[in-house]
Amino acid sequence: MEKQSRREFFKTTAIVGSAIAGLSSNSTKAAPKNILSEDRMGVLVDTTACIGCRSCEWACKTAHGIETQSLEKYSDRTVFKNMRRPDVNALTVVNEYANHQNAQLPTDVKIQCMHCDHPACVSACIVGAFSKQENGSVIWDTKKCIGCRYCMVACPFQVPSFEYNKAINPEIKKCDFCFERTKVGKLPACVEICPVEALTYGPRNDLIKIARERIKRNPDKYFDYIYGEYEVGGTSWMYIGNQDLRNVAFPKLGDKPAPGVSEAIQHGIFAYFVPPVSLYALLGGIMWITKNRKNSEEE
Amino acid sequence: MKNFILLNVVIYSIVIFSQSKLPKNHSLSNKLNCKTCHVCEVPTKKDPCLVACPRNQMVTVYQSADKTVNIVTLGELSKKYDPVVFFHRAHAQMSEMSGGCVTCHHYNTSGPIQPCKNCHQEERKREDISKPDLEAAYHRQCINCHREWSHENSCISCHELKKAGKVSQKIDVKKIKSKDHPKLKAPEKVVYETLSRKGKFVTFYHDEHINLFGIKCINCHQQENCSKCHDKGKPTLTQQLYNLPVKIHKSADQHHKPCFSCHSEDRCGVCHSNKPEGPFNHAERTGWALNRFHEKLSCSKCHGNSDKFAKLDNKCESCHKNFAAGKFDHSLTGLKLDENHKDLDCIECHKEKNFSNSPACDNCHEDKSFPKNKPGKEITISLKKKK
Ligand code: SF4
Ligand code: SF4
Ligand code: SF4
Repeated sequence: MEKQSRREFFKTTAIVGSAIAGLSSNSTKAAPKNILSEDRMGVLVDTTACIGCRSCEWACKTAHGIETQSLEKYSDRTVFKNMRRPDVNALTVVNEYANHQNAQLPTDVKIQCMHCDHPACVSACIVGAFSKQENGSVIWDTKKCIGCRYCMVACPFQVPSFEYNKAINPEIKKCDFCFERTKVGKLPACVEICPVEALTYGPRNDLIKIARERIKRNPDKYFDYIYGEYEVGGTSWMYIGNQDLRNVAFPKLGDKPAPGVSEAIQHGIFAYFVPPVSLYALLGGIMWITKNRKNSEEE
Repeated sequence: MKNFILLNVVIYSIVIFSQSKLPKNHSLSNKLNCKTCHVCEVPTKKDPCLVACPRNQMVTVYQSADKTVNIVTLGELSKKYDPVVFFHRAHAQMSEMSGGCVTCHHYNTSGPIQPCKNCHQEERKREDISKPDLEAAYHRQCINCHREWSHENSCISCHELKKAGKVSQKIDVKKIKSKDHPKLKAPEKVVYETLSRKGKFVTFYHDEHINLFGIKCINCHQQENCSKCHDKGKPTLTQQLYNLPVKIHKSADQHHKPCFSCHSEDRCGVCHSNKPEGPFNHAERTGWALNRFHEKLSCSKCHGNSDKFAKLDNKCESCHKNFAAGKFDHSLTGLKLDENHKDLDCIECHKEKNFSNSPACDNCHEDKSFPKNKPGKEITISLKKKK
């Protein structure tokens, strides 16, 4: 495993640190604007089409080498008794919510990383292990990660999860928008398998137009709102549904690119007059050293 | 300038040429507006500049269900599963009450029925993502209804799993027994318990509405859901979790809608009452008892078209235009007028031409009265049923 040199580490830390210091003085841009490509991809999730078959969960696991039972077993609906969150063993999960207009037809919502346009995880990561790619994916680099878990705190959707049960080389896990597949021209695994194409993969700008058109054509069927169009500055994954999904599956968020909790962390730090850069450097340094020690123990 | 004219000629000839080549069934002449489908001024064959699927605006699939194809196998796509045997006719027979053919054939210009794949591409990775691909198009048509009543969505509820390593069996449609949807049994009456303060009960005589008033199923049942009959009443998981009623909740507006197409001007009490009510009774409901002649008539004979029964006044001549001297054969009433009375005006005996009151003799005779004295001879008449 190639390692980040100590010098390089402090360099990145300093850059990120000063970027964050800059952020607190009002302009809170999580990711540099220039990475946001005009034709970045996204997914439109039409929850009125989703049947809650959970094939996407199976496909995601299979594509990411996570052990799983056979696809046929996924039609078991008792899992919906509990609300689930994506975790290290399931980068995406489908939850089921009551539909008060038609109790026979519950609302199923697949959740995973939203691939924010201004990702809080990217801005929170002090070593730059997270990055927003040109095609819209927010991915994570195992080589750079020091395991500080700031991303988990920062993410407004509580997506990244940490392999707590793994003593050696625990990793941050989250949906990577199937970066390895899309790179070679394949569709994300979940999009490919969905039997009703509740997940439409395409350029984000087109998807917004399509979503609007669907709502316009069918005003009785849809609640007139595209979740993710503006939330935290816009996300690559967007949702439409027969009810306001902010009441069921998603948090109500502003449209400012919000580093969310990471901002709170900074404010907390300022309260004690500790310059953030040094604190991050200190914390990060400790983490990095610990990680290095673990690695050398392994070697 | 010369070039410009030449160019115009070329363009117009292209337009004319391409239009003359339009498929036979292209609805050029019909009420359709070209702009429904084409966005540009001069659509050509090469560039028809079609708008995205305008759906219900131009659908012309109206076939009687019983004449449609019985069984369709859907198997263009299955890699893992055997083709689905779809009983088309059985579905079509019920479709009338839930949106009609267009529920599935949602985009079909006049002419032959278009197969789904004409619009829905087979590839999931494709340019035009505004409409679902073929697999999704099929599945969306089927699963959302079926899961409403089966509460299931596993593949094997419609598909057979392919035998490992085997090519799927060729399905011989001729060997499959055809299937019709069983005839529906309409209830005689339904008593609704409502929350209305205007009267808790609404007694709805279903058979009367069909047989007596001649109302067609589709007049009321337009967006019915299969689950209305097919759901075995097993609540879904969310129903259990959130304690939702098994029945689909309808707003007061939705409940009233089918009734209001006829009863919009009626008082609440016409339907709502504090107890379940008996069947329709003309005297009670309208204050006009039907006599032995009227009783035999169908409603539409007097009230016109069953879609909206006309309100009548109680003047006999409003319907009976022949209730006038010289026009009316009085022996039809069972009393043959004698020579003295034969040519009198009706009003001489029937005051104010109100034929439901007893006739009065005092206009001419001070000493006579009906029915002691009669202006003619009683005869027996046979009541023939007139339709
Ligand atoms: S949802 Fe969370 S993890 Fe995903 S990109 Fe946004 S901030 Fe990062
Ligand atoms: S895009 Fe890929 S990683 Fe993300 S949920 Fe879908 S299958 Fe999983
Ligand atoms: S595969 Fe598609 S339909 Fe099935 S649960 Fe996932 S998003 Fe919904």
